Amino acid sequence: MREFKLWFGLASRLTLGGVLLVAGFLKYDEVDKSQMAVRAYEMLPVSLANFIGIVLPFAEIGMGLLLILGAVTRITAALSALLMVVFVIGISQAWARGLSIDCGCFGGGGQVEPGTANYITPLLRDTGLLALGIYLFRYPQSKFSLDKSSQQNLEKGI
Amino acid sequence: MSAKPQPGKDNFTRNLVIGVVLGVVLIMLVPTIISKQTKLAAKIPASVSAERGYGIVFNEELTGVPVIDIYEDFQCPSCARFEGTQGQYLDSIIEDKKATVVFHTLSFLGTESVLAANAAACSADQGKFLAFHKMLYQTQPQENSGAWTNEALVAAGESVGIKSKDYEECVTNGTYADWVGNVQASAAQSDVNSTPTVFINGKELDRNSYYDAAAFAAAVEQG
Repeated sequence: MREFKLWFGLASRLTLGGVLLVAGFLKYDEVDKSQMAVRAYEMLPVSLANFIGIVLPFAEIGMGLLLILGAVTRITAALSALLMVVFVIGISQAWARGLSIDCGCFGGGGQVEPGTANYITPLLRDTGLLALGIYLFRYPQSKFSLDKSSQQNLEKGI
Repeated sequence: MSAKPQPGKDNFTRNLVIGVVLGVVLIMLVPTIISKQTKLAAKIPASVSAERGYGIVFNEELTGVPVIDIYEDFQCPSCARFEGTQGQYLDSIIEDKKATVVFHTLSFLGTESVLAANAAACSADQGKFLAFHKMLYQTQPQENSGAWTNEALVAAGESVGIKSKDYEECVTNGTYADWVGNVQASAAQSDVNSTPTVFINGKELDRNSYYDAAAFAAAVEQG
């Protein structure tokens, strides 16, 4: 069972980290669109939204790489889970308020023609990723991880 | 417990990896943040007003007429549709001095948008912006297909009657590239989240009137 958990930890790291890395990679050289996507949620003051639009793709790349490599897994997992909570809130409020926007999750984003917005797919995806983040926060030990603590915990049988 | 891991060594590798990842991300992030700042030293075309979001302005001097701000990207298909529906009307109210019209040529769709916006500014210096603007939309290629090179944009200028050597140099040298960035930065500050977006006297126009000639004209006349 413990062995299974370690492999599941690895799978979680690669899935969550892989999605974050791809999402960041698709946006980091198109930050005009990324800023537009963040503004379109109409949650933040425009200047803050523009700042987040620039920083977010790079943060996603960093978190994705750290998760894939298994370095500071616990902290990165916690941050990823928080990020997913923010995404779920953002998408839900856009849906509830009847905004017509593209989630901009993997590039693109901004307003779209009324009636063409799709909120269910990103909500389900982000909820699934949130679950993986929470799992990794609770059980950060996994196969092929750079974290020393996971090795030590392994030996202590934790 | 026989195979004790070497804590020092393990920690070193891990910390090195963390350092490298964070370092690389920061090295990529900082120039991006800097490049998105408004560049006050940017060379701007003659018909541009920084107070009007760096847009290309027609009939700046008029007072008591509606001010129409149009945010567009030369590569955006909906903008081509908008130009197809409203272009002639806009030309006529500019000519008849019935409105102040500000064109904000955005560039969020990619490199070719930057080249096209730069060339449009060059055409404005030659007094041919409106004709060039129409020509680009009528011949709009697939997004970022590689069709809009500087050579192609020089040729497009010639096709609307621009013969000046200055125009060619302006396009080829990307004279107004920094200005293009300023237009985009200014639109970001004005919370423009899609193209086309139209403001009449500072109020965002309802999206349903964009592709309806009668509704658009009515909205302009109401002010």
